[in-house]
Amino acid sequence: MLNRRQKYLQIAFNRTLEEVAVMINSLPLSKRIIIEAGYPLIKTYGTYAISAINNFWEQRVLTPNNYKFKKSFWARGIKSWPSLFEALLKTEELEESESISPKEERFRKIEKKKSEIEKTPFIPYIIADLKCMDRAFTEVEAAASAGASAATCLGLAPLETVNEFIRKCEEIGIDSILDMMNIEYPFEILSKLIQPPKIVMLHRGVDEGEENKEKEVPYHEIERIKSVYDDVLIAVAGGETINEVITGAFNDADIIVVWRLFNENPERVTTITDEFLKEVK
Amino acid sequence: MILKRKKKYLQIALNSTPYEAREIITRLPFSERILIEAGTPLIKIYGRRAISEIKDTAPEGSYIVADTKCVDLALRDVNMAAEAGARAVTCLGVAPVETINRFIEECQKIGIDSMVDMMNVEDPVSVLKELKKPPDIVVLHRGVDETEFSKEKQIPFYQINQIKDNFDIFVSVAGGDTIDEVQRAMLNGADIIVVWRAFYQSTAETSKLAEEFLKEIR
Repeated sequence: MLNRRQKYLQIAFNRTLEEVAVMINSLPLSKRIIIEAGYPLIKTYGTYAISAINNFWEQRVLTPNNYKFKKSFWARGIKSWPSLFEALLKTEELEESESISPKEERFRKIEKKKSEIEKTPFIPYIIADLKCMDRAFTEVEAAASAGASAATCLGLAPLETVNEFIRKCEEIGIDSILDMMNIEYPFEILSKLIQPPKIVMLHRGVDEGEENKEKEVPYHEIERIKSVYDDVLIAVAGGETINEVITGAFNDADIIVVWRLFNENPERVTTITDEFLKEVK
Repeated sequence: MILKRKKKYLQIALNSTPYEAREIITRLPFSERILIEAGTPLIKIYGRRAISEIKDTAPEGSYIVADTKCVDLALRDVNMAAEAGARAVTCLGVAPVETINRFIEECQKIGIDSMVDMMNVEDPVSVLKELKKPPDIVVLHRGVDETEFSKEKQIPFYQINQIKDNFDIFVSVAGGDTIDEVQRAMLNGADIIVVWRAFYQSTAETSKLAEEFLKEIR
């Protein structure tokens, strides 16, 4: 489902669903954005979190013209919300005016952008961060029926679970992601599997990162894995700063997973996403 | 620890739907030796309400286990489960050591029991030795997929005593659902036996089955 020649930015959402709805509505429209129903969110809301997030992003992507700016408790305090779509809504009113001004020129540019967006619709891609450890069959079915395009399984799960997880994902038509959190040699796990997953995620956990500042995301594993499993995409998770995102992209990661900056600064979602998308190329 | 040291417990894991969970709970005999678990599939499908609904249906003061299988963000998991009414939460033994330490510390801070699930851990004692302090309960666990796809895989009953020789903690055994396996676990000194298969759906036998298991667990 993902394009091998493209680099993606995966945004994991972990706030309340009401907040996530507003944040997703503020995202720029890009086919390079992947939305993740985070692991804490699933534990709080169940698979409803996946279907709700799927709906938010689908509405945002497929009906950009119906976009309505939802004022949230944090957005109310910000007067200069830099929303392209707020401007888009104003465009139609402006077209009726005959005066030509730099302002109008700006709006014409926006209009151009609007038509570009309309021409490039894409299918929203939603990841359910299940971190499956057992009962792969049940978990994959639950995630897929809630609308997930991909789901995650722990690399540290029993081999039987990982194999069943990958098989079931393939059967049901969603992408399998193997999360290598706390695994020193991901290669060893991959070599034991009946077939490799679609995506391998190299991951430094949040608790690990906070308690052990010197622990790094193992970027060096990216090329090693790619050299043997050329069909596998690599995602890196756990690096949050713009520098870490650049490092991930520089080391040839296909997907960069971020969450902290977004979830801690919901009012800056648009700006942060634009900045990150620029780096993930 | 909330559980009493000299008692042996039966932990019934509920994994189907909140409706089935309610039906099963109302059929269970009243015993302080029965622990009720909101299973992982139930939590992942229905969210934290699976825990709170079980808590609301169960008799006042019941011991509810939230099988969250924490692997990261320990503080959030522990607090979510405790707020929903759990008196014990689970963390994976394969999780980063930083997560397990945070998990145990947070459980202790808010007064609920910490359970570390040793599924797919070859040497649980070495994991425990790396921790700042041990959890209240260690769970020796053969997973459902492991049981189904590798019939020859045994629950490592010998590890019960290995753990008890090194740490003064409770040992729980999960993954064996037959009376024979329950007896073997008891003989080897387990404190808690976790069962789920017999309690996946509510039947006329539910109450009798629970009585039979309780008889074996002494």
